[in-house]
Amino acid sequence: MEASSIHELCRCFMYLAIQRCRLLDDLCRLSVFLKSSPLSHPPFVRISISDTGVGSCLEEFLDIKITRGPILDETWDGVISVATTNICDDKIYHQNLNLKGEASMQRLTKLPSASKNGAKFSGTEISLSTLETVDNLMQILMIPKLAIEFVIDRGDPSGSRCENIIQAIQCVSLSSDSNIEYLKSGLEDYVLKHNNHLQNICHSCFPNREHLKVGTGVACYSESSRNAGQVMEAVIVISQLSESTSPSCFQVCDGKTEVLYYKDFSPCLISRPSLNALTSIDWKSYGLTLRSNSDENSTALLEWENLPLGFHIDIVLHHYQKKYPSAIVMPPAKQMDTTDRSLTRKAVKFALNDLKEKNAGVLLTAQTLKIRSYAPDLARTLAGLILSSNDSNFQGECLSLLGLQSQEIESETVEDCIKERLISVIDLNDRKPQRNKEAAPYLFDDGCYEVDNFPDDYEEGEEANSSLEI
Amino acid sequence: MEGNNSISQPFEMLIRIREFTRSLIKGMCAEQSSFVVHIDRFRNYCTDSSGYCSCSSDTAKGKEVITLQRECHVHRLDVLLRVLLIVQQLLQENKHGSKRDIFYMHPSVFREQSVVDRAINDICILLQCSRHNLNVVSVGKGLVMGWIRFSEAGRKYDCINHPNCAHPVPVNVEEVKDIMSVAKYILIVEKESVFQRLANDQFCKKNQCIVITGRGYPDVPTRRFLRLIIEKLCLPTYCLVDCDPYGFDILTTYRFGSMQMAYDAKFLRITKIHWIGVFLSDVDKFSLPKHCLLPLTKEDKSRTEALLRRCYLEREVPEWRLELEFLLQRGVKFEIEALSAHSLSFLSDVYVPSKIQGELYM
Repeated sequence: MEASSIHELCRCFMYLAIQRCRLLDDLCRLSVFLKSSPLSHPPFVRISISDTGVGSCLEEFLDIKITRGPILDETWDGVISVATTNICDDKIYHQNLNLKGEASMQRLTKLPSASKNGAKFSGTEISLSTLETVDNLMQILMIPKLAIEFVIDRGDPSGSRCENIIQAIQCVSLSSDSNIEYLKSGLEDYVLKHNNHLQNICHSCFPNREHLKVGTGVACYSESSRNAGQVMEAVIVISQLSESTSPSCFQVCDGKTEVLYYKDFSPCLISRPSLNALTSIDWKSYGLTLRSNSDENSTALLEWENLPLGFHIDIVLHHYQKKYPSAIVMPPAKQMDTTDRSLTRKAVKFALNDLKEKNAGVLLTAQTLKIRSYAPDLARTLAGLILSSNDSNFQGECLSLLGLQSQEIESETVEDCIKERLISVIDLNDRKPQRNKEAAPYLFDDGCYEVDNFPDDYEEGEEANSSLEI
Repeated sequence: MEGNNSISQPFEMLIRIREFTRSLIKGMCAEQSSFVVHIDRFRNYCTDSSGYCSCSSDTAKGKEVITLQRECHVHRLDVLLRVLLIVQQLLQENKHGSKRDIFYMHPSVFREQSVVDRAINDICILLQCSRHNLNVVSVGKGLVMGWIRFSEAGRKYDCINHPNCAHPVPVNVEEVKDIMSVAKYILIVEKESVFQRLANDQFCKKNQCIVITGRGYPDVPTRRFLRLIIEKLCLPTYCLVDCDPYGFDILTTYRFGSMQMAYDAKFLRITKIHWIGVFLSDVDKFSLPKHCLLPLTKEDKSRTEALLRRCYLEREVPEWRLELEFLLQRGVKFEIEALSAHSLSFLSDVYVPSKIQGELYM
């Protein structure tokens, strides 16, 4: 994590707090408290970020790289105060940490601990003082992807105090508390709010959540692997807006997908290996054509060639370590790149396959669409074979197999029923792994077969073609 | 493979069509829904030129699995089912249709005749029958003349009255009855021009024989008719073809059947057939001028090489194969008509009689 301003520093602390909350298997609270002291010289603001997650281990702060510059130098002395306790501790530990210090050993100053008086709780409070103004800080703490309890004490004589919950999460009951379920729910929310351009779900476009077609995929290495513990999660959402959608809602449907990327529960720029992995996926086997990709302006954009009007694809990736804080020795950079790429590819493919599995008729390959176009003709001929037969028992048997009553002997009904079944077989084939599709068309063939180019069986003046392939 | 006369009633075929349709519907409606057609694959030769292969048996050599997973397969199924529907109607109405009639029912879907031909072959394999069992007929292009008399569906063919007059080979071979003949042998000739030469020279009258031509590659009615009269009359049969890879391939079509209809080969091939010529050795034997020999083209050579790889040659007619190898070694070919270099009737008066009487054949 890198920070070059107070804003970014606070975000880093909040993301760390979220991770600590994540590790506690219970409801947690994350609070941000700004206390302004306008009358002091110079006036300053005390920022406090506290959470009720597990206790902090100080190593996590060592991962924060402070980029020195005039902004940070002029508004912050580099010191943070950390008060933390684990559930099993009988004390609250206080330390001051100078993040601008050169050597880690010189950074830390231990302060007297406070007794918990037998109480059982855990949590951490990080606080720092800055010369930034409250108004300025209010802006930067508005993080669209987080719900935070936000309290400001302006410290003025009237004692004014405002409390706010920013970006309240819509109440969704999740069947599981797995990370991927939260990621899925979060992306759904994001899409339902038109990429968070709206405060609330756009009910005119999305009357319900079922309107979205969602697929999830998780890729990780086995426990015995050198990369054990690395996890990549992917969620893909396909949404479709109707023609009656208002033009403002249609703005998001520009045939592009912004890939949201998270690393260790924090939003960040997509890694180069992950972006490469995205471009190397065989999108065509999912009926998609990637026109271009870019990671300019801090966002990874995938542009599609053949996305029908009104359709939009949203993708989120989350790469994290199962164990936190990371006690594992990180592999070399080159190996990490390979890991990143491989996990991204797998997770996205799992998500695409999951999406196809759960949603019939979605992400069909161009080949499957062509094959589907034969279904009406095949259905008509099959219906003809049944209905033109002069054997009424046979007709009755076929109709009953199709689940039709004999009195429903209208040819269109039979055709439609057969067509539906054919399409379901075609879609099922499309969802089968690629390797099955490429199976040899011949069984028990010894391969010792050759067709000469001799014309054969000339009849009725036309030349027979000896080619066996249509 | 059941063929020809074993299925006498269209009723039996209709039962098989319904069984096939029912199996498709069942597959679609099953819990693990599927749409698969298995078509046995037959071949009458492979490229194992040692001859130690299993092509001598008439059993299937594998299965083609046709599914809805590949576009070419789906198109093939589309064609197959359309043709099957037409066949069902023909059988139900007791009518006959030609392959060409069928093609013109959906020309934009079928695109070319060979696609329909293949579908008909597929259906024959699926229903374990021969083509005529589907009431699919063709206008025969073969010709016959000589000492034979027969009737086809009440119509009498009395070739004996005019033994040098060409008659079309009957199409509904299963309807051919009352075959009578006093011929001594049957001569098959590759080309119509040679057939006409023999007719002009009154060959049949002079030699008391039957002459047949398939006019190039023989069609199914010609081969079926030939089989029928050979079986009924038990006559020795001789074949005269050009000395080039095409002539040889036509000879093998009479002898072993074609690859496309390998599933029905045992009802179409003529096993007791003697190859009387023309051979390269005839050039010296009959003192033909050297300019009658034409060089083999590159295409001729590659066709000859492909023919040499066919397993049945080494296994069943090794002497034919030697002759073909000799052709390739010499790098020349010649046509039957080259015999006219001496005189127009040399073929009728000298060549064929000397070959048969002298037993100069393979």
